[in-house]
Amino acid sequence: MKNKIVIVLALLVMVIAACGTKQTSGAVEISFMMWGSPEELDVWEQVVADFEATYPNIKVSVEVSDWDSYWDKLNTLYAGGTPPDVFAMDAPIYIDWVSRGALLDLQPYIDADPSILDGVYPVTTQVYILPDGTYGLPRDFQTIVLFYNKDMFDAANLPYPDETWTMETLKEVALQLTLDTNGDGSIDQWGFSSDLWDMELFWSEAIWAYGGEVISADHTQTLLTEGAARDAWDFIASMMVVDKSMPDPDTASQYGGDAFDAGVAAMTTIGHWAVPQYAARDFAWDVAPMPAGPAGRATSVNSAGFVVAANSEHPDEAWQFIKFAMGPSGQTRLAELGFAIPVLQSIAESPVYLDQPNFSIDQQVFLDALEYAHMKPSFRGYDEWATVVGDALIPVWLGELPISDALDQIKPAADEVLARNQE
Amino acid sequence: MEQGIKPLGKEKLWLLVLLLPTLLGLVLGTLGSVVATTGISLTKWDLIQPMQWNGIQNFIDIFKDPEFLTSLKNTMLFTVLYVPGVVIFSLIAALLLNRKIHGRSVFRTIYFLPSITSAVAVSMMFSWLYAKDRGLINTFIQSMGGSQVNWLGSTDVSPINWIIKSLGGAPVSALSLQIVMISVVIANVWGAIGEGMVIFLAGLQAVPREYYEAATVDGAGGWAKFKHITLPLITPSIFFQTLISSINAFQAFEYIYMLTRRGNGSSSIPVVVFSIYRNGFRWHYAGTASAQALVLAAIIIVLMLTYFRLEKKWVVYE
Repeated sequence: MKNKIVIVLALLVMVIAACGTKQTSGAVEISFMMWGSPEELDVWEQVVADFEATYPNIKVSVEVSDWDSYWDKLNTLYAGGTPPDVFAMDAPIYIDWVSRGALLDLQPYIDADPSILDGVYPVTTQVYILPDGTYGLPRDFQTIVLFYNKDMFDAANLPYPDETWTMETLKEVALQLTLDTNGDGSIDQWGFSSDLWDMELFWSEAIWAYGGEVISADHTQTLLTEGAARDAWDFIASMMVVDKSMPDPDTASQYGGDAFDAGVAAMTTIGHWAVPQYAARDFAWDVAPMPAGPAGRATSVNSAGFVVAANSEHPDEAWQFIKFAMGPSGQTRLAELGFAIPVLQSIAESPVYLDQPNFSIDQQVFLDALEYAHMKPSFRGYDEWATVVGDALIPVWLGELPISDALDQIKPAADEVLARNQE
Repeated sequence: MEQGIKPLGKEKLWLLVLLLPTLLGLVLGTLGSVVATTGISLTKWDLIQPMQWNGIQNFIDIFKDPEFLTSLKNTMLFTVLYVPGVVIFSLIAALLLNRKIHGRSVFRTIYFLPSITSAVAVSMMFSWLYAKDRGLINTFIQSMGGSQVNWLGSTDVSPINWIIKSLGGAPVSALSLQIVMISVVIANVWGAIGEGMVIFLAGLQAVPREYYEAATVDGAGGWAKFKHITLPLITPSIFFQTLISSINAFQAFEYIYMLTRRGNGSSSIPVVVFSIYRNGFRWHYAGTASAQALVLAAIIIVLMLTYFRLEKKWVVYE
């Protein structure tokens, strides 16, 4: 009998332990999830510490994962019905998440407190403010600019890229900087290198600069295979396949995917997030505006933002946190981190951002880019659509298929994805 | 079946208590997942919105989906190459390490190491070996005067197509075998030899010594002994190892994904598990992913039943 009591007690203890302990103190705890590096975690813990000092009755638990794990975790938490209160969102898939009813409409909070948008770059909020509500707000933005390796330009005695550059200049100079430095018969320095998996780094900019479009405004038609966009693709293919002044994806992957970072490419186009990483390299580099095309100069702007789960139990506290992160205190910390550009104009145009002690580059280039930047498209089914487009282009970059054939294949497949996601 | 000592009285209760964590794990974890997957496979679900009943539509759709069919073909091809590879090479390793040689336990440990090494680390090592311009294998080939091979590329190395071509015909794409598949199979086989070796060592050690002594007296050579004594007596181990590696082959994911992943998250040789992962967690098609998982499970079950039927024909139990 005594033994049975012991067993029953043991079982009870197990059950209680499994249920976990509920917080009983007065403070409300909200969970905050984002993707990022360990350095970013450090900064966000700082922001959180500042926030908790200002709002002592709110505790924030921060969780940072790498990009892939972040989305796996988030999806799993949603499937289980326990999403984090506040989490980071990437603009291109924001619409996708909104369309699934996953996010809380923040418009009532904004209406009660409209000053939150004062001094925020309007282009960064554009994607988040929808006709039926505002389900997220930007925390930072990224414009794509041209990065160049000064050492390679100096060695070749060539002038650095500037605002007079066109796409043709890029092509010519890239070819001049493509070299076989050790004379073994194979190229070991490329003039230009860019990641063509996704539109953001180079190909959407090229399409816009040639006067084409990526996708129709209502997101039902894939337009990147039509009209002037084809000229942009011919231009890219001529660099990678004919001139070989860009490493193909197989070659680039041997250098960790980023040939510029590896010090074997003279130029690349990428966003501000690469700055801290490149700053650790032992070559000198700086940034210049995106080269202009026949239809003018264009670049891409994308903003990462914060959203609140639709079923959050603490929406008020979640809102307080977003407000704080978008405010001067949060934005200053963000600028100091060096990964991104603050959405708050007063901070972006202050020495906090413009004169970052660790990087002696022309930070103004990233801000000026806003004048001719196009918002990166955001629509339901973005990931699936981007995979269909990216995969079909691989044989082209490897020289196995003419670009026109690949584009002909892309159009119906990509439109089918869009149709499937219209429901 | 041998009769063991039966638990008595309150021992029974303790038995239950001690087994409870495992049983709970099995019922709630494994069985629960199977039931849940079956349920989800009959719905349209994006993990966020409420599920919508979809009947067997997902099962119809996946067989019309060219990407799923490609992944199915890749998984089959991988299994056909991988299973014999694991069985043969782990048997060879076990035979070599079943002898009385110096440092035997050290070698056994070394062969087992890949089994306990993280898949990411192993994949990193293989991608360094296979890299086209700066890889170790190609550097070696070039130093011997050979030319570069793109080990993770799509060059067709199918022997059937080679024969067709040498006879003047045009290669058939359905019969093609990409070199990357071979490279990936090699990496996977390498990683699985250790576990197979342990199974075979156990089997080899169960073979009574007297049989070999008797055969020696009768004047049998090494090969004859292997063929007539060792091989028949370790057929249970071969059977078991074939079974386990087939299951592993159908579920293979990590090494393959790490070696063949592309910048946009896709894979140059997508396998079924990759397809499940991408549909469920990347594209919000949980219903489709669950249907694919069930089809995979069904294929494995049919294969296992076939194996057990065949078992009676060639497996020798002493």
